[in-house]
Amino acid sequence: MTSVLSLEASGRWRVGTVLVVAFLASMPIVPLLGRSLEPGAPALGPVFWGSLWTSAGVAAGAATIGVLVGLPLGVFAALHEFPGRKALLVTAALPLLVPSFLWAIGWSELAARVPGAPAMLRGTSGCVLVFATMVAPLVLLVSFAASTSLSRSQVDGARLAGGETRVLRLASRHAIVPALLAAALGGIVTLADAGAGEILGVPMVATELLTSFAARYDVQLAARQCLVLTGLVLLAAAPVAWVAGRRLADAALARQTAPFPRQLAGMGATASLALLVLISVLLPLAGLLLPVVSGPWSLAAEAVELTRDNWRRNHFTLLVMGAFGTVARTAANTLVYAAGAGLVATLLGFGLACAAGRSGTLRTIALVVALALFAWPPAAGALGAATMATASPAWLDPILRSRFTVCAILGLRLFAVGTVLGLRAWGTMAPSWAYAAAVHGVPPRRYLWRVVWPSLRPSAALSMLVVSLLASADVGTVLLLHPPGADSLPLTIFTVMANAPTTTVVSLCLLYLFGAFALLLVLVHLAARRP
Amino acid sequence: MMTRLLLACVVIGIIGCDAAETVVVYTSVDEVFARPVAERFQDETGTTVHLVPDTEEAKSTGLLNRLIAERERPVADVFWSGDPVRAAVLKSRGISAPYRSPLAQGLPAEYSDPDGHWTGFSARARVLVYNTTLIPAEQAPRSVLELTDERVRGRGCLANPLFGTTSMHAAALFTTLGDERAKSFFDGFRRNGGRLVSSNGEVRRQVANGTCAIGVTDTDDAAVARREGAPLAVVYPDADGMGTLVIPNCAVLIAGAPHPEAARRFIDYLLAPETEEQLARSEAAQMPVRPGIVVPGVTPISDLRPMPVDYAVLGKRLEELSNGFLATWVESVRTEQRQ
Repeated sequence: MTSVLSLEASGRWRVGTVLVVAFLASMPIVPLLGRSLEPGAPALGPVFWGSLWTSAGVAAGAATIGVLVGLPLGVFAALHEFPGRKALLVTAALPLLVPSFLWAIGWSELAARVPGAPAMLRGTSGCVLVFATMVAPLVLLVSFAASTSLSRSQVDGARLAGGETRVLRLASRHAIVPALLAAALGGIVTLADAGAGEILGVPMVATELLTSFAARYDVQLAARQCLVLTGLVLLAAAPVAWVAGRRLADAALARQTAPFPRQLAGMGATASLALLVLISVLLPLAGLLLPVVSGPWSLAAEAVELTRDNWRRNHFTLLVMGAFGTVARTAANTLVYAAGAGLVATLLGFGLACAAGRSGTLRTIALVVALALFAWPPAAGALGAATMATASPAWLDPILRSRFTVCAILGLRLFAVGTVLGLRAWGTMAPSWAYAAAVHGVPPRRYLWRVVWPSLRPSAALSMLVVSLLASADVGTVLLLHPPGADSLPLTIFTVMANAPTTTVVSLCLLYLFGAFALLLVLVHLAARRP
Repeated sequence: MMTRLLLACVVIGIIGCDAAETVVVYTSVDEVFARPVAERFQDETGTTVHLVPDTEEAKSTGLLNRLIAERERPVADVFWSGDPVRAAVLKSRGISAPYRSPLAQGLPAEYSDPDGHWTGFSARARVLVYNTTLIPAEQAPRSVLELTDERVRGRGCLANPLFGTTSMHAAALFTTLGDERAKSFFDGFRRNGGRLVSSNGEVRRQVANGTCAIGVTDTDDAAVARREGAPLAVVYPDADGMGTLVIPNCAVLIAGAPHPEAARRFIDYLLAPETEEQLARSEAAQMPVRPGIVVPGVTPISDLRPMPVDYAVLGKRLEELSNGFLATWVESVRTEQRQ
């Protein structure tokens, strides 16, 4: 009979499992990887290299701002109770599910229409701002989760030793490594995102990839560019992974499990989080709304004509009702893709974490593999999956050409998030639990269900949440893989935004955001009520 | 009793599933214009249409790559293209099949592929748009070439010529003006501080909000902006010169389509005069290419001076330019913008 101790002992099964998971996660990009190694692709050119360094700079800037803003706010929110905490945290997470095109359009409209708007809203600084508003929530959530894993005795001890300042320093030190990894993940996401650069006129490497795919239809060139991009990410990420792999988590003592009570904090905490929400959510949203409220044919003008008798015929009302119809048609698919991707990424990431265990070497390898695969743009995996599905027999279509395929490819792309959170969660568990279980002859199944799962559950939930949000923003993968008739709401926004009335596009965006906000608030509330 | 009821439900469900025929239509036409046509076909024929629209150019990898990846075992039955260039790409890669619809009678042959791989109908045009608060009507631009004029220095807008209808327009300029004059235009635009933006929709937005004074876009983009009350006017350019580029929609039958009969019926529906009239009356205000269809408020093609181009060869020319001059030119503009 397999012993519980096998979960803590080293073994060849660990290396084998890591290799299997890495192979599974890399399967979608294998077709493109093969094309990149074929001879005959055109040279990459100086502009590709120039845009690569520009993108690296933007990614580094966004990641730095993300850490500087997200880490202290996440730590503070974890340790303190203050008015509006849950609602503000949920709102701060919303940029993760918005494609950067939309936020960039919002900022550029603000820059164009508001007199005296600062120049930093344009160009490269505007790109850094757009991406920073997406990286900061990611770092905030991960820092929050890392800080809540502190035990009561640690917090009480720090409080006795040096008051609240000491507690904050302890929590920040505890959360810094996962926060840095989250910032790295956020930075890598920006490398493959053409949105902000296209709107703000900054030549980014993602634009070069898009040109190769969608203008030249040169998949071989695009694949070679992806390979170079991955090489750059590996160069930057390998040292980070080496440091983080050994310091990702310290095993807690078995008795350090009591949660600490949150201290009350004043309105200053609320104001800090509200400022992040203002900059990362409300201002770009205001920019998106400006064309609707400021034109001659506008919300204001329509509202004046709105009466009880004519509201049904009112053009504005018809457009908004049409938006509700679109949401009703696409809501189920949106939720399925988001939740499915979260499940796949979490299972894969946590499985990899379990296999890596407490070995510093295996954890470093797991992180390097996860970060390298994360660098490939969404189109690479999606086109690879489409190619494999085409080459497969028709009876495999329910697996390879279905909603499941979309969930799987989204999840495989984002499994790095599950890996980071899984490594940390597994590493935080006390090994003495396994020893005690083994001494008392507890079967592995019961140990996993009664001890391991409750310990991993909060991190697994966070992984599901973050991956679901990021998957929702991935329009490209859904476009390339969704079964006909099964489009998602974000994809629909992008297919109508070219020439739909601005009111329709804005209505869809607002419904998307409010729907996500309401759903997240309910989930957070349910999670808080769970004993 | 319950078992029989359950069995009845299963049988009804299976019969229900098999009753409706299906056609899968990929389209690069804007969804707000394509979906009403698809829904009308569905209502009139009972055939379920699964419409798969594309995103705006330069916002994603695009549906054409999906068609290329699915070539050996396609999911799509029909590709409804917003321009002939994408249809030509499909033909060059063996993804389309020839189909000469009986409803194509009356459609001018110059808007269709001579081998029958794509059939042109309902067109847009490439137009100049200008901000009426920045440029008075008496100084309205008359030619695309005026984007190199000193008076619009730093305030002219053009979408990326590697994507969408702008790419087709670029290829048309090269074939109409010749290489030297076309290169001179693009270099002049760059030297004049012209702004390269991501898409036609972005041109519309930037001219509407005053960031740009003049831009080149499509008639449907211009129509949307004017409908929303943007301070924007439209000019059909080069009426006295090289002419205005007309861009027809194209219906393409996919080779190996899973539902070939339904595909042909859908293509027949697209090419019918009623559909052209519907698209003309829609907010796209697309111009019927079939003579005799007159819709108030829509400029008929007969009132324009169309640019004389051979649509069948435009795709090949564009491929050369996308890997040559245009790619280099876009790179140089981006390098300057970065500085």
